Amino acid sequence: MEHSTADGKRPEMRTFANPSHDPFFNQAFEEYVFNTFREGDVFLLWRNAPAVIVGRYQNICREVHAQALRERGIPVVRRMSGGGTVYHDLGNVNYTLISSQSDLVDYDRYLEPVIRALNAIGVPARKNRTCDIAIGEGKISGSAQKAAGGRVLHHGTLLFETDLTVLDEITTGRKNDCFQSKGTISAICPVTNIRSHLKEDMTIGEFQERLLAEMTPPGTPRLTLAEDQLREVERLRDEKYRSWEWTWGSTPAFTYEKEGTFSGAPIRVTYQARRGRLSDAAVDSPLLDGALAARLLTGARLEPEGFASVCRTLAGERWAELLEFLL
Amino acid sequence: MEKKLVMPKLRAEMKKGVLCAWLKEEGDTVEAGEPLYEIETDKVVNQVEATESGVLRKQLRGEGDEVPVLEPVAILETK
Repeated sequence: MEHSTADGKRPEMRTFANPSHDPFFNQAFEEYVFNTFREGDVFLLWRNAPAVIVGRYQNICREVHAQALRERGIPVVRRMSGGGTVYHDLGNVNYTLISSQSDLVDYDRYLEPVIRALNAIGVPARKNRTCDIAIGEGKISGSAQKAAGGRVLHHGTLLFETDLTVLDEITTGRKNDCFQSKGTISAICPVTNIRSHLKEDMTIGEFQERLLAEMTPPGTPRLTLAEDQLREVERLRDEKYRSWEWTWGSTPAFTYEKEGTFSGAPIRVTYQARRGRLSDAAVDSPLLDGALAARLLTGARLEPEGFASVCRTLAGERWAELLEFLL
Repeated sequence: MEKKLVMPKLRAEMKKGVLCAWLKEEGDTVEAGEPLYEIETDKVVNQVEATESGVLRKQLRGEGDEVPVLEPVAILETK
């Protein structure tokens, strides 16, 4: 990044290689680097195997069809930054920039060097809206930030050769309006892949290498985390990013209501959830045991797996049909 | 002394932010620099830290509330 400190010196820049494609590990890696290296700038490039990444204060069920994702084996991972839901796969390159900054929000400071780097390697990218990068009218990058203790973590996606059909199915396929809550709602934008706009084709590996070279001044140390640091990242992955408390338990409080037809009869499901725990649950259907439903759901954890098991108890082999009304 | 803590104005264009989470409960002792609450605006989750030590007397707004900039969200009693 080409900004200067008060004494005119360019802040030190470091980069850490992270070859992992585990989306839980990669969130933990970012957070570990953010919390551990408190001086100078850090630049990271990383990729995730297929995963849905939701913002810090989003209601997962309102954004995506959690049960359908489970069936496809696509995990939902909550990140520490704000903003909306994104789909990652190995065709998407994520970048992270960490820097010292006072409390004002500033996207341009982080977007400008990325756009310059993209232009330098032949990508006709430009800034769009507050924190997006586009080619023409197609979005190639969205970004979000986390600020704490005078440091900012800015990260963004770079769609290089992502499966846009899957992305579209997942991020626009379902916006569930049965939730009344105050969480962050995602925007839906037309997207495009960088690779289809290149004059000279390159592989995703070449793209990453050239982007890294452009983003880091010559002589920037290319580091890796030590074994004991990687153990810490794994601990953070297991204790935080893979936990129910983080992923589901930090869902903003909401009230849920859904009506429809279950196996030919009217059904109405209502409940509230706070810190991921249900209260005031009611399932009204002539075909189901309402008292049992209320008992099973009250105090239950918000999560598709637990809900599926409740549905099996209540509706037997029609559990999947019932689950559609619960989430 | 009672001090009002507000929704910070983080960009010139910022009109309001969401108070996402309380990191301290009412009655908690707070050291200067300790995180108090998290807000979200423009896809930024911003951790607001105490500028002085004291006791968090009152949370004026709940988690999930949209709060106009510079409006109070809590009262901190400082020594």
